[in-house]
Amino acid sequence: MSPRSRQWLAPALVVVGAALVCAGSAWGLFKAPPEVFMGEVQRIMYVHVPTAWNAMLALSFAFGCALAFLLTGDWKWDNRLEAALEMGVVLSLLLCMQGAIWAKPTWGVWWDWDPRLTTTAVRVLAVGAIPALRAFGEVPGRRAVWSAVACVIAFADVPIVYFSVKWWNSLHQAQSTPETVSSAFHWPLRINAFGILFLWTGLVALRARLSALRLREETAPPPPAEAAAATPAQGAW
Amino acid sequence: MSGVIQGGEEFVIAAYAVTAAVLSAYAASIYFRLRAEKRRASREEGR
Repeated sequence: MSPRSRQWLAPALVVVGAALVCAGSAWGLFKAPPEVFMGEVQRIMYVHVPTAWNAMLALSFAFGCALAFLLTGDWKWDNRLEAALEMGVVLSLLLCMQGAIWAKPTWGVWWDWDPRLTTTAVRVLAVGAIPALRAFGEVPGRRAVWSAVACVIAFADVPIVYFSVKWWNSLHQAQSTPETVSSAFHWPLRINAFGILFLWTGLVALRARLSALRLREETAPPPPAEAAAATPAQGAW
Repeated sequence: MSGVIQGGEEFVIAAYAVTAAVLSAYAASIYFRLRAEKRRASREEGR
């Protein structure tokens, strides 16, 4: 792929993703039938479940980037790690907001300290701390290594979130997959899942470019005038 | 009590509105941050 077409791939993914999310949401809101027990409220599933899947995917990608950086030391993996972590935090926070809006009419409360919700809150805090603390790291090499190690440790919570509804007696329902929901609900779920997938991959690619530009600035040698001013004159001490 | 949740359209609208707002705001933040960084980088190269 030529550099020029690669330049346009990320914005194209964002546009296609946004179009798919609009189409899937319209299908879920206006065409899909209401669920037998939850009625209209169940339509929240078409955005909540794809967000959950994609938050998990974005964090798995961040985990892969962290391992790749630790193994190769290639900076492109650190840039992608920073981008994927930020995306994972955004999707996890969005997931919690959608979940709270769904919980109120179905459970009667906005939030409950049930295993699925608690482990998700731990994930938001654990993963969210890494980009926040990266902002304070001034030495790029050290910052990249510790954030990759922190990401590997924080990733341990991702499978715990996924299996929490199986391992413990949870108020939250079991995982929603095409096998566990009616076939009438499949298409809006799938379209939104691929829409959010394209959207976040495009956004992560753009965000990684931003990280690469910032890294280039951080590691660039200072201009000659500034370098001369910073170097003490011979015998100055 | 029928065991079926009645109404709730306002929660559905809220969930979709929050989703659209969060994803759009994040996409806009990346666009503006990237544009500012590209401008800064081209200024640095021009020096």
